[in-house]
Amino acid sequence: MSHSLNEIEAMSKRAARGAGLSWGLAEEAAKGTRWLAAFGFSGAELLADLLEMNDRIPSIDVSPVSLSAEIWHAPTRRMSPLIAGASLSDCAVRLMDRGSITMENVSLPLLAVPFMGGAALRLGVPVAAEWQGARLATDGRQICVQATPEALETRHADKMVFSAPAEMTGRREPVLRAEVSEADWSRLSAFAHRTFAPATEESRLRGAGAGLSDND
Amino acid sequence: MADVSRRDPKMVMRLARLGSMHQSRLSFMRILTRRLARENWRFEKTAFEIDSTGVGHAVYTAHGPERSYSLIAYAHDLPPEKRSDRVIAEAWDATFTLFDGVPTDADIERLSHNIPVQEAGRVTGSELSVSRANRSVRLWEHVVSELAEGRQPSTEKIDAVGYLMRTTAVYGSGKLGAADREMIADRPEFRAPFQVEMLSVYLTRWFVTDLVQYMADTRAAANGVQAAKLDAGIARSMGIGNSTGLGMAPFLLNHPVLFNNWMAAREGAIQVVRGVEKASDAEIAVFRDVLLRNMQIVETWQSEHPIQIEKLAALRADIAKLQDYLSSADLGADHPWDALYTWAEQSLTLEGQEWIASLILEPYGELVDAFAEGMAADNTATFRIAGAMKIGDLRALLKDIYGWAIETDWATPASKARAWYVSEEKLEPRLGERFEEPIEEYEQPLAPGRDAAQLFQALAHWSDDAQVADFLLRHPEHRHVLRRVQIVGRAPYAEIRDNTISDRVLPIDMLRCKLSFFGATKFDPRSDRWVRICMYGNAPLPHELTSENADFWVFPELEGAAA
Repeated sequence: MSHSLNEIEAMSKRAARGAGLSWGLAEEAAKGTRWLAAFGFSGAELLADLLEMNDRIPSIDVSPVSLSAEIWHAPTRRMSPLIAGASLSDCAVRLMDRGSITMENVSLPLLAVPFMGGAALRLGVPVAAEWQGARLATDGRQICVQATPEALETRHADKMVFSAPAEMTGRREPVLRAEVSEADWSRLSAFAHRTFAPATEESRLRGAGAGLSDND
Repeated sequence: MADVSRRDPKMVMRLARLGSMHQSRLSFMRILTRRLARENWRFEKTAFEIDSTGVGHAVYTAHGPERSYSLIAYAHDLPPEKRSDRVIAEAWDATFTLFDGVPTDADIERLSHNIPVQEAGRVTGSELSVSRANRSVRLWEHVVSELAEGRQPSTEKIDAVGYLMRTTAVYGSGKLGAADREMIADRPEFRAPFQVEMLSVYLTRWFVTDLVQYMADTRAAANGVQAAKLDAGIARSMGIGNSTGLGMAPFLLNHPVLFNNWMAAREGAIQVVRGVEKASDAEIAVFRDVLLRNMQIVETWQSEHPIQIEKLAALRADIAKLQDYLSSADLGADHPWDALYTWAEQSLTLEGQEWIASLILEPYGELVDAFAEGMAADNTATFRIAGAMKIGDLRALLKDIYGWAIETDWATPASKARAWYVSEEKLEPRLGERFEEPIEEYEQPLAPGRDAAQLFQALAHWSDDAQVADFLLRHPEHRHVLRRVQIVGRAPYAEIRDNTISDRVLPIDMLRCKLSFFGATKFDPRSDRWVRICMYGNAPLPHELTSENADFWVFPELEGAAA
């Protein structure tokens, strides 16, 4: 079904929160999913995969141990692309200083790619990400994709390298609509639903501060 | 230009003041009508297929210099027990969409299955908004029956309500599958905020005026007589109501950059006008004329809510003091508007101060109107956290912006008595009692003061030289509010400097602030979290719109009130 990008962002934020991420990380998940969808990737499906994989586990277990380490890795050897990606965006200046940041054992690596768009905008130069079978580069506004479909959908990358400044050999423009299958939408909805308070008569009467009839 | 600085966000961004704001030249309705007139937009009704029970559809198209937009209206026969203004309603008297262009019969047919059910339907990128409205039952019936019997309706009854229908939600920006704002934001007519929604409501008012006449004609015909034609002046006096619940409060908190840009535009305009050295006779004349006309709005403004009754009494007393001041003040002297505003700040309540602050902008379209260009927002740049920021700098920002929150004792139940949450019932936003209802686990991040104070505490043992990126890696729970602090550091009017979850918070303050930017008048709270307003009251109908009446319509003509 055709969805607006705002719908995808709103749903992703609620779903990520429902899966136990902090509000701030849920916001990152939402912006990232929207970014991927805007470039025609199945962001919603990937996010649903990740939320199911990491449902309600402590964030710290799938976060980089240290941002100054030579190679970023998570204690569980299964790093969340959202958390690692958000950290990468936070470390945009360090990325430029170091020239590259290498990560090990990243789940669903494509979900980390939008964060380099943010880093590219901050730095004013293109940033690239590479993992087996895939190289993507972006200046934040357009992307350049050289990848096999399997690499884009892979659930695990042993090694992922971000580098800046990078070269963009081709340019893909964003689109402003996205297709999300009903199945994927339902998977995200199930997580999002956890953030909604159950309907009770008391809540219905008190919470909105208005009566139920407006026949005046 | 005098050395007048912009008002301090610490003073401006308090809830009590935001809840006392009034419309101004920079209100979104006035930005729209000025453009429609300036660009000679053309309006036509291309369909009105409504049966004798009031069921059917109509199409109204606005033709601009480059593009056309059409309001498709679906009229329904709603049983009274279903008439609710709340989000949880499932049927309405009328439902609408603003279509990008001119719809084909196939579009109207497709949308007839989706628009009448609102949230249960789906629209596409060709639709820019989805909205609905309910009748004011008492006024609707009065107007239909009077016209049907050959008489004009009572202006007294009309003044008491102000509108024939009130909208209960106007969704834009991609809701329900509609076009994202990004798809249309580069069109000049939609650059300013909420222009899609304002256009939709403006055309809705036209439809409602036609529908009430049609229903009166139909009833008269059934009785073998001819209905009176609704007097054009009376038709013009009626606006479209809006019934607004809590949704608008989270909006202001969730769009900090946008909110900043609205506030900063108005504050910039106030600053520039206060800086005017000499007012010309013509400018003084405009001010005095608009002042008198604006007083009529206050005189006919009615509310039964105790809070608003008190605020209205204060505003009326303020206006009496103002008249007294103006009887002796010399507006021809140096810096008259700064003198007037400064006097107001010292002598009037917040209602009166903000009334004056908006009013002094009126004679200065050339200085003020360009601020509208800066009211939209692109959040891309501000969303990213500056991870290289030093903890010392973050701490300094927190102390500066959230000093009040750091000093608040958050351990007392009263300081956090409420919690904002979303109900699974049609995702209605609600405010609950944290210590009385099982809602805390569903709390939305709408208490920046509390969250900033917690962040400040969590930073206590971090060195000034550490970087934000390393702190956030260990404390993702503070990521939301930390982002916010950085945003407010750059956009000082982005943050409400008050407790949004205390036992005394009045959500209507946030609702009123947002509605004042729409250009609403006659705020009529129904509770501490629900308000009704009037939009486009007294505005020319589309076919009456000219550059002469496109701007000051909000203020009723003096003769009209005397009649």
